Amino acid sequence: MKRWLAAFSVWLAVLFGGPAFAHEVRPAYLEITQTAPKAYTVIWKLPTMGDVAIHLDPRISNGWLGREPADQYAAAGFLIRTWKITDKRKDPIFGQTITIGGLPDTMTDVYFRVRLLDGRQIDAILRPEQPSYTITSEGRGAFAVPTFLLLGIEHILTGPDHLLFVLGLLLIVRSIRALVKTVSAFTVAHSITLALASFGLITLPIPLLNALIALSILFLAPEVIRAQRGGDSLTIRYPWVVAFAFGLLHGMGFASGLTSLSLDRGALVSALLLFNIGVEIGQLAFIALILGLIRAFRLMEISWPRPLANAPTYAIGILGAFWTMQYTAMLFGVI
Amino acid sequence: MKWRAAFGAAALVLLPEAAQAHLVITGMGPVYDGMLHFGLSPEDYLPIVVLAFFSGLRGSSAARMALGGLVVGWLAGGLVAMYVTSVSPELTSVATAMLFLVLGGLLASNFAVSARAVGVAGALLGLVRGLADLAGTAFSVPHTLTLIGMTASGFVVFSLAASLTLPLKRAWLIVAARVSGSWLAALGLLLLGWIVRYGPIVG
Amino acid sequence: MRARQFLFLMIAASALIPETAAAHIVKGEAIGFLSGVEHPISGLDHVIAMVAVGMWGAQLGRPAIWLLPVTFPLVMAFGGFLGLIGVPLPGSEIAIALSGVCLGAVVLLESQPPLWVAAALVGVFGLFHGYAHGAELPPGQNALLYSAGFVLATGLLHATGIAIGVVHRWPWGRVALRGAGAAVLCGGAFFLWSAFA
Repeated sequence: MKRWLAAFSVWLAVLFGGPAFAHEVRPAYLEITQTAPKAYTVIWKLPTMGDVAIHLDPRISNGWLGREPADQYAAAGFLIRTWKITDKRKDPIFGQTITIGGLPDTMTDVYFRVRLLDGRQIDAILRPEQPSYTITSEGRGAFAVPTFLLLGIEHILTGPDHLLFVLGLLLIVRSIRALVKTVSAFTVAHSITLALASFGLITLPIPLLNALIALSILFLAPEVIRAQRGGDSLTIRYPWVVAFAFGLLHGMGFASGLTSLSLDRGALVSALLLFNIGVEIGQLAFIALILGLIRAFRLMEISWPRPLANAPTYAIGILGAFWTMQYTAMLFGVI
Repeated sequence: MKWRAAFGAAALVLLPEAAQAHLVITGMGPVYDGMLHFGLSPEDYLPIVVLAFFSGLRGSSAARMALGGLVVGWLAGGLVAMYVTSVSPELTSVATAMLFLVLGGLLASNFAVSARAVGVAGALLGLVRGLADLAGTAFSVPHTLTLIGMTASGFVVFSLAASLTLPLKRAWLIVAARVSGSWLAALGLLLLGWIVRYGPIVG
Repeated sequence: MRARQFLFLMIAASALIPETAAAHIVKGEAIGFLSGVEHPISGLDHVIAMVAVGMWGAQLGRPAIWLLPVTFPLVMAFGGFLGLIGVPLPGSEIAIALSGVCLGAVVLLESQPPLWVAAALVGVFGLFHGYAHGAELPPGQNALLYSAGFVLATGLLHATGIAIGVVHRWPWGRVALRGAGAAVLCGGAFFLWSAFA
C-alpha cells in the first residue's frame, strides 16, 4: 500500500513538475481606442509567466504596429506595449486586417477590441486556427456571445483546482438529493463572488486567493477519507455548507479569467452572464462525465483494487497540499 | 466500495487532462496533445465505440476483458512504437481497416464469442492503434504522457459506450447497435479499397 | 380521406427530391465528411433505389426489416471496394437504372418473395450502386472521414425508406407505399431510358 502511494506521488510530481498556475487561462489582448478624431491608442497585453512570454506578434495591415511602441513595460503577469498613433486618413481602421503572428503555434486566444469616439465598439476573438480578422463597420459584437460562453467553459474545464474541488464534493455526497443541493450551493456561491469580484467590489490579492483555493482542496481530502470510512463530520452531514463557503472563494478565482481582460462596465454585464453560464455548463459536463463513468463501472461490475480506488482522494490531498505550500511560499515571496 | 472504486478510476482518467491545463498558455502539454489527437481521430474512437457496443452486448465480464485488453494493448503498442521499432503506415493502415471489418462484422452479426476472445479483440485494437498513433508524424516529440492521454481518452470513451449497450434488452435497440457495427465494417471495406488504390491512410 | 393522405405523402416525398437533386455537385476531391455525405445523395438514381430498399424492407416485415439495414451497407461497401481496387464490372450504369425499375416494381406490387430471393435481389443491386460510388471515389487526404460520411448518408437514406415504410401498418399507408413504389418505377424507367439514350 505504501509503495503504491509512493509511486502515485512520484507520478503526480512528474505531472506537476513546473509551478502550476492553476486557473489562469489568460488570453492576450489587443485594443484600439480612438482618443481624438485623428488620434488612436493601441494597447497590446501579452500574458507572461515569470520571465517567459509566448511569442506573439500583432500586426495591422495599415502598418501602425510596424513602428516602435511608445511605451513598453512589464506588469504583473503581462507585458504591455502601447502605441500612440496619429493618422489623418478618414477611416484608417475599417477594412484593415489584424493578424497575430505566431498565434497558430500556441493555444492562446487573443481578444481584440476597437473603441471609436462615436461610441461604436467592435469585439472579436482570434484563435490559433483563425489568427487574423478583418475589421468591418458592421462587425460589432459579432463574436461576443460564443466568446465569453466558451471562455467560461474553457476556464473551468482547464482549471484542475476547481475540478478537483468538485470531485471532492462528489466523493463526499451520498445521495442524488445531496448532490443537487451541494452543486447548487457551489454554483450560487461562486456566482455571487464572481459577479462582485468582476465589478471590483471585492478584491483579494491573487497569490492569497490561490493559496486559499488550494487550502480548500486540501481541506476536502481528509473529509473524503472520513466519509469513506463511515465517519461523521460537519462536511459529511452538510456538504452544501462547505460547498457554499468555499464556493465564495472559487468564484473569485473564476473572476480572474474575466478581470484580466479589463473590460469596461457596459460590456462586463453581458460578458459576466455568459461567462458564468459557460462555467456552469462546464461544471455540469464534468459532473455528468463522472456520473456516467460511475454508471459504466457499475454496469461493467468493475471492482478496483484498493490503491486505485483511493487514488482520487490521494490526488486531491497531495495536490491540495502541494499547491497550498507552493502558493503560500509565493505569497511570502520565498519563490 | 464500488462507488469509491469508480471515482478512483474516473479521477485517474481525468487528472492528466486537468493537470496539463496550465500549459494552455505556453502551448499544449503532452497529455493534452494525446487527448486532442484522440478526439480528432475517428480511426481511434470509432472502432472503440463499436468494440464497446459489442462487448456490452456480450455482458459485463466481456466488457471488462475488452477494456483491460484495450488499455494494455494500447500502452504496449505505443511504447513499442516509441522505444523499440516503428511500424510502417502501410501495415497499420491495413490492420486498422481489417479491424474495422472484423469488429464491425462481430457487432453486426451479434456473434456469440467468449469474454476472453472479446478481450483479445480489444488488445489487438489497442496494439494496432497504439502502434499507429505513436509511430506517425503527428507528434513532434512523442512522449509517454501523450500515450497516457490517449489511452485515458480511449478508456473513457469505451466505458461510456459500453454502458449504453450493457443494459439493452429491447430488440430494436440491439438492432440499432448492430447497424452501427455494419457501418463500421462497411467503412473498413471502403478503407481497404482506398488503401489499395491510393496508399496508406496517415491519421 | 385516402386520397388526401396519399397526396400528403407525395408532397412529403417530393420535398426530399429538390434538395437531393440540388446537391448534385461533383467535387474535385474528397475534402472530408460533408463531401462524403454528399456523394451518395448527389444522384437521384441512387437515392430513389436506396429509399425503395428501405420501403420494401418495411413491406416485407420481420426479419427483413432489420436484416436489410444490417447487411445492405456491407454489400454496398463491398461493391465500393471492388470499384476502388479497379475490378471491372461492366454495365453498372444500366444495372443502377434497372434497380430503380425493379425495386419500384416490387414495392408497387408489394411482392413477398422468400427472404433469400429478396436478399439476393437487393444485394446484387447494392453491389452495383456501391461499385459505381467506389469507382468514382476521388483521392484525398481524409479518406476515413469521407468514407464515414458516405456510409452514414447511405444508411440514412435507407433509414428514410424504412421510416416512410412505417405507414405500411395502416390500410391507406399500404396504398401510399405502393404509390411511392410506382413513383420509383417511373424514375427508374426515366434513368434507364437516359442510360441507353
